[in-house]
Amino acid sequence: MKVIAWLAGIGTLVAGGFYMIVSLNRWEWNRALFFGIIVLIAEVALATGLVLRRLARLEYRTRVDPEVINVLSETRPPSPDRFAWLRDTTQQTNVFITFLVGGGVILSAGAWMVDRIASKTSSPAGEQKLGSQLSRISYPSGGLLLDDVTVLAQDVPGANDDQIRWLLRRGGRL
Amino acid sequence: MTKARLGKIALGVVGLGIGVVGVLALREATLSTHEDVAARETRLVLSGETKGGEENQTLSEMVESQVLTCRLEVESDLAGPIERLGDGRFRAVLVPALDDSNQRQFRGCLEDWVIDHVRLDVEALDQIR
Repeated sequence: MKVIAWLAGIGTLVAGGFYMIVSLNRWEWNRALFFGIIVLIAEVALATGLVLRRLARLEYRTRVDPEVINVLSETRPPSPDRFAWLRDTTQQTNVFITFLVGGGVILSAGAWMVDRIASKTSSPAGEQKLGSQLSRISYPSGGLLLDDVTVLAQDVPGANDDQIRWLLRRGGRL
Repeated sequence: MTKARLGKIALGVVGLGIGVVGVLALREATLSTHEDVAARETRLVLSGETKGGEENQTLSEMVESQVLTCRLEVESDLAGPIERLGDGRFRAVLVPALDDSNQRQFRGCLEDWVIDHVRLDVEALDQIR
């Protein structure tokens, strides 16, 4: 079957090429174009067949003997059971508990260290430094709005502004 | 250099020579070269047949269409109407006479697949003095 296909392809190529040249020689351009297309199709088909045949040969060459594969798979060492310690057993002490307790101790030690370091950040010297920094934005000693007009306004009967009175008290005017 | 290698090279050279000669011959055959002709006119006799055409298409008009189309490729024109000889045969006269290159071109065009459903066969393309 393959031989017939190859012969048909080659025959089409040769015949198409022959008639293409004959048509060109006779000045029959449309016929020449038609046979040229036939030649092109046959050429592409033959080239594809040749490439596929070469690929099939390569595949055949690289095919490994199944007996060798069997020997290799049989002599393969067993894969190690790396999580055997996770399995629950009633007879042995589980390693997982050791990790749990150890992890707890380490976490507790870390938390204690953090607590100690945090407590050292609020020393008396630190508080004094903070106070001096805050003094820059504190109220002035005489108050904010304590001018004479405000003070006299508080003597007027009926005047009762709690916030102004609070400022007067703070400034020592009341 | 081995004998086999020399043989391959010789074969390649021969193949290349054949290819070059073939291309040059084809170029010469398809090149349009015009020359003076002693004849006064060219007589054309052709037969035609149609297959699978539309209902209202006649062989005569198909032949006329193709002859007129192909006449545009050469330097001559029809000297009169295309005569119907019967049995699918037709005759026409072209003036001035076609030179050798034009004859080949005209014959090739008439026998080519120019119009669908019609095939013409040139029976005679003679120079008349």
